[in-house]
Amino acid sequence: MDFAIKFAFDILAFTSVMVLIVLGLGVIASMMGIFNFAHGELVLLGAYTVYLCDEYGLGAWSGVIAAPIVVGLVGLVLERTIIKRFYAVPIIAMLGTYAIGLVIREIVRGLLGGHYKSIPEPISGSFSAGGLDFSIWRSFVIVTTMVVIAGSWLLLSRTSVGLRVRGALENPMLARACGISTARLYALTFAFGAALAGLAGALIVPLYQLSADIGIRFLVQAFLSVMLGGVGTFEGPVLGAVAVGAMAAGLPWVVIPVLADPLVFVIALAVVRLRPQGFITVGRL
Amino acid sequence: MSETDRTRGITRRHFLNGAGALTAAGWIAGFTGGWVLRPRWAHAAGPIKMGIATDITGAIAPSGNANWQVAQFAVEQINTAGGILGQPIELHLEDTASDPKIAVGNVRKLIQERKVDVVLGGITSAMRQAIKDPIVNRGRTLYIYPQLYEGQECTKFLFNTGPSPAQQCDRLIPYIMKTLGKKRFAMPSANYVWPQLLNKYARKVIEANGGEVVFEEYYPLDQAEYSATISKIKDGKVDCVFNTVIPPGLQPFVKQLYESGFQKNGGVLSCVYYDENLLNYHPAAEMEGLISCLDYFQAVDDPFSKTLQQGYAKKFPDTKYLFTAGSASTGMYRGVKFYEEAVKATGGKLGREEVAAALDHAVLKEGPGGGAAMVPGHYHAKMNMYIAVCKSEGGKTRYDVIDKADMVDPREC
Amino acid sequence: MDVPTTRAAAQARKVRGSNKLRFRVLPIVEVVTFLLLLAAPFILAERTALVTLMTNIVILSVFAISFDLCWGFSGIMSFGQALFFGAAGYVVALVGRDLDFSQLLGTLPLAVLVGGLLSAALAAFLLLGRKTPTSIFLAFGTLTGAYAAERLVSGWQYVGAGNGLSSIKLMAFGSFEFVEGPAFYFVALAALVVVYAGSRVLVRSQFGLVLAGMRQNEERLAFFGYRVQMFKAVMFILAGMIAGLSGALYSYHQGFTGPGNLGPGLSTTAVIYCLFGGSGTLIGPVLGTGAIELLSYVLADTDAIRQFWPVILGLVLLVVVMFQPTGLLGLIVSARERIGSFGLRRQAR
Repeated sequence: MDFAIKFAFDILAFTSVMVLIVLGLGVIASMMGIFNFAHGELVLLGAYTVYLCDEYGLGAWSGVIAAPIVVGLVGLVLERTIIKRFYAVPIIAMLGTYAIGLVIREIVRGLLGGHYKSIPEPISGSFSAGGLDFSIWRSFVIVTTMVVIAGSWLLLSRTSVGLRVRGALENPMLARACGISTARLYALTFAFGAALAGLAGALIVPLYQLSADIGIRFLVQAFLSVMLGGVGTFEGPVLGAVAVGAMAAGLPWVVIPVLADPLVFVIALAVVRLRPQGFITVGRL
Repeated sequence: MSETDRTRGITRRHFLNGAGALTAAGWIAGFTGGWVLRPRWAHAAGPIKMGIATDITGAIAPSGNANWQVAQFAVEQINTAGGILGQPIELHLEDTASDPKIAVGNVRKLIQERKVDVVLGGITSAMRQAIKDPIVNRGRTLYIYPQLYEGQECTKFLFNTGPSPAQQCDRLIPYIMKTLGKKRFAMPSANYVWPQLLNKYARKVIEANGGEVVFEEYYPLDQAEYSATISKIKDGKVDCVFNTVIPPGLQPFVKQLYESGFQKNGGVLSCVYYDENLLNYHPAAEMEGLISCLDYFQAVDDPFSKTLQQGYAKKFPDTKYLFTAGSASTGMYRGVKFYEEAVKATGGKLGREEVAAALDHAVLKEGPGGGAAMVPGHYHAKMNMYIAVCKSEGGKTRYDVIDKADMVDPREC
Repeated sequence: MDVPTTRAAAQARKVRGSNKLRFRVLPIVEVVTFLLLLAAPFILAERTALVTLMTNIVILSVFAISFDLCWGFSGIMSFGQALFFGAAGYVVALVGRDLDFSQLLGTLPLAVLVGGLLSAALAAFLLLGRKTPTSIFLAFGTLTGAYAAERLVSGWQYVGAGNGLSSIKLMAFGSFEFVEGPAFYFVALAALVVVYAGSRVLVRSQFGLVLAGMRQNEERLAFFGYRVQMFKAVMFILAGMIAGLSGALYSYHQGFTGPGNLGPGLSTTAVIYCLFGGSGTLIGPVLGTGAIELLSYVLADTDAIRQFWPVILGLVLLVVVMFQPTGLLGLIVSARERIGSFGLRRQAR
């Protein structure tokens, strides 16, 4: 019983980070119809920002706060200069964003010198509850994710900006006809998605190691989550992330760990094939 | 289609194509011409070419860079003393990038382009397996492998100057079991050949001494979640973790093990490749009590070793790549010096067969941690082995040597 | 003789006339390239390292062609071509290790078969079935396939797990064993010529005409009654077979194969080779591979550039995708010639 709680807690921490990543990706996919293959590298950038802050003595905390801002800005710049050309042709968007991701990844790899870096947790140690030890940082991750999700949901459903975003999500043509500047909304949405990815990277990096390759793994898992959960809604990708996260953490119990890894992807892919629109469907893809 | 159109078309496009072809041909000709002219690659008797193939980038970079620096240090010492029988050693470096795929291509460059006389390098067993074929078989070159490993490498022309499982486990495990009283072992391992064969050997020693291996598990190299493992350790009442997880999965594992309170409850973490370099990659608290068995620790009180360290520190002041045993640096030093001895014995001849024959019984009177001697016919070397425990004080870690064994037999091949 | 009887017919004739190929550049490019490739080992005689480089270029060109068949001719963005490349590489390594067999007349066809079977399985899963997959799903499915395969192989001890398989038994013909050098080069070149000739005949045939129609407008072609997904599947399988052949040759040549040969990384490299050279023309990928590998070799010795070479490659891909989608060849080959001409035309009388 003890163990089950601890286990659930660890899965929850991992899944929270997945949810942050997937949320960003899903919002971009739903609104602009393009899949951002550079999303994993935006996570990497967030992690790298924390590393930089730590290296230069500013402390990991400032890194965690700076990461979403920095990566959000990067996302904004990317969107305004490169990505907006791709909206008409999603396939080329894939290639283009993949290229951007490749560039970012290799730049970071060059800067890191190919090394793996460890970053200390901003709040280390653990606290006891009910006789079990829980890592403080993991708790912080979970709490932050919940706050962000709640905040985003409130933003979408209660504010006028959120109303415009939802409108553009459901029917961009009509939104434009109503005078909503979709170009600006797209830029904002992309920046928002990027900021979320940056935050996720900053939160996860004390737990895993920083290396140039952490992006790809998150990318594939994030994509599967979005496709599983369905494009076009807020809840869909979140549900997808939970499903993929639980599978990734739970399968090693059922099959040997080395088989579990690829199995997650195969199963998820099969499910998407059978139900291409995902769990919850509304909207374009 | 009119005649004039056609001729105009031919001229322009034809020209472009012709120009392209000519440039390509000229470029290729330039290559061949350039290299034949440069004197460095002249085939006349010149310096002894030593190739170093090690991981300058990637997960194993901390060890690889240490190797490269130690090689430079050792070669500089030899060259300052006049080289080997008057011939200087010329070092050629290729980065194996902790990636066997890239390594194969780069090592081939050492052999085919630089035409080195010997290659020293490779750290992980995966790397050794990948590059030994291009070096020894296809490249017909001598290969010296400097790192501690799982044994059973008995390839002709491949000499091992790092410790074997017998040298590491034969004293360490009985020490843990008898002196520290730990009998229940867990073997969390990286999924590749070194942990698998090392565990097999370690298991024999554990069971021969009356201990029990509670579980033995293999993970992908970049595994980051170890909750299942930690819980198995707790449930199985494991008191000694014989760890063979390597970076990048290493740091999360050690952190999660520490956070679970394993050491607090009296558990012992043992890892046979842990040296001073690796201590720096963890917070001090997580390292307290870690026990390791290597051919050298900086704490070893030996005048020659101390001189070596001073010389190394002078050449590379404030470097973060320390001259330690777990990173294969001691093996690299030994390898360079063994090669020097062998070439002296052949009278300066660099042919593979002659040098190998001389290398087979090369002896070093002095080295880090003591001398070493190749066991003839067995491709491995006898060396001193030390057991050390990590102590942390004020956020800093160090090793305390608690046992020494002289000229231990590798018992391989 | 056809005398234009109406003004409309006359105008139509004029338009058709201006569409006619003024001058075919591609055949010249092809001939020059193959002549150079044929002459290379003789020019490079002593420099074994360069012959090795050229052999790699030839083998990887075959791989790039397999991607071109998918994307340039059938519109399938395959991010996972390396899956077939790597799998075939592993199979020949295993056959060499466990069955002690490496006769090229046996193992190369085996590699083709392995590539074909795997791609057939993937095609059946991704392409066929009641619901037509979106192109995004297809692309992503191939990426996931390659990624999952890489993870699987990284953990499977029998195939060497993360270490990969090394000391691969040398490819043999009778009692002659192929090491790096001119002999191997010519085997690889022969493979390239066969694959190239075969592909060229295919895409210039009536089958190729259907593919051209698919590139223009899939939906319309489907309405004509063509089973578009079947055509795509066939091309995908063909490309898989070709990728398998090149994978086996690469394995034998390098003497080493690892999980990296299966994954998205190598697949993307094929994409870059092909797009850079010019997709949709079979010689484009060959040129692209040659250009990039040569540049990489030359720049590899300069320390400053070496670390950032992959960044440069990524930028190249980005620039190509954004500004010059037709690649290098697009600079000299006209759009009309890219469409090509197709086999014996049956004139309507």
